[in-house]
Amino acid sequence: MQADAMRLLAIAITMLAVMPSALGEALVVVHAVDGISRNPEVYGKLRTTMILGCSLVETTAIYALLVSILLLFTK
Amino acid sequence: MDFIANLKNAHITGPVISSLIVMGIIIIFAIYIGIRAHFQDPLKKPKGALLLAECGVNFFENMAEGLLGKRFRSFGGYIMCLGIYMFVAFIFGLTGLPSPITYMAVPLSLGLSTFMMIHATAIKYNKFRYFKRYIEPVPLFLPINLISMWAPLLSLTLRIFGNAISGFVIMSLMYAALKDLSGMIFSSLIASEWSQVFIAPLLTWIFHLYFDLWSGFIQTTVFLSLTTIYVGQEIPEDLIGA
Repeated sequence: MQADAMRLLAIAITMLAVMPSALGEALVVVHAVDGISRNPEVYGKLRTTMILGCSLVETTAIYALLVSILLLFTK
Repeated sequence: MDFIANLKNAHITGPVISSLIVMGIIIIFAIYIGIRAHFQDPLKKPKGALLLAECGVNFFENMAEGLLGKRFRSFGGYIMCLGIYMFVAFIFGLTGLPSPITYMAVPLSLGLSTFMMIHATAIKYNKFRYFKRYIEPVPLFLPINLISMWAPLLSLTLRIFGNAISGFVIMSLMYAALKDLSGMIFSSLIASEWSQVFIAPLLTWIFHLYFDLWSGFIQTTVFLSLTTIYVGQEIPEDLIGA
């Protein structure tokens, strides 16, 4: 019981890593939109770069999710 | 006969079998394209599957050219090989069989091949100066450099594996929840376990669209870009732009 509770707490702490990752993704999108509004011709190129950058930033959140899934299913 | 008896006792898991199926699909398609290309008149327009293959080759070669320069256009062959296997393996989850990427060994071997490509490129262009990187800036850094050598492999592997397994787990949770929800709603109408099948087919397809198709495409593109960039770091700068 105690160990279970501690494991759930550990999962909750691990998932805190998602928060800065979301902020990072928001920064990527903000700057991409800034660039597009300043120079609308680069929309096509910037969109590809933005999606690539987003999925790179997302990696941290994926690591956190992986660790918490491992914590959840390994006893 | 010993071999077959051993094969029966070996623990071959589902993802290994689906990986073999994916390889079979790709090999059959590749042989078909090869035969079509052999008998194709080069002065006529390609049609059907051959056109698709030519578009694919062009796409991957342009990708290599954009990141490495005109001299390394043939590097597109390597990333096309990785990319097609990875994308087909990702969307193989749509069939309901386990996707090979959800088995740690598959992304690890994809990462290992890229890892070996990086170091082979470094040895090819640096010759014996390659070993100098492990004792830089002073020989005291040797253990740290030996550990940080494995960082690209780990990050490439875990990125793909984490993405695939998180999609897989979320889809499994969603199927289980929708099964229970459907059971709760329809159990008064149909008095058997068939009351559990009604809601899941209506809702899950859009999440499959995201987690298998879209996520697979994006992660494949990221993996290929990272591979190209890592390899490009090892090539001397005066060769890249040429």
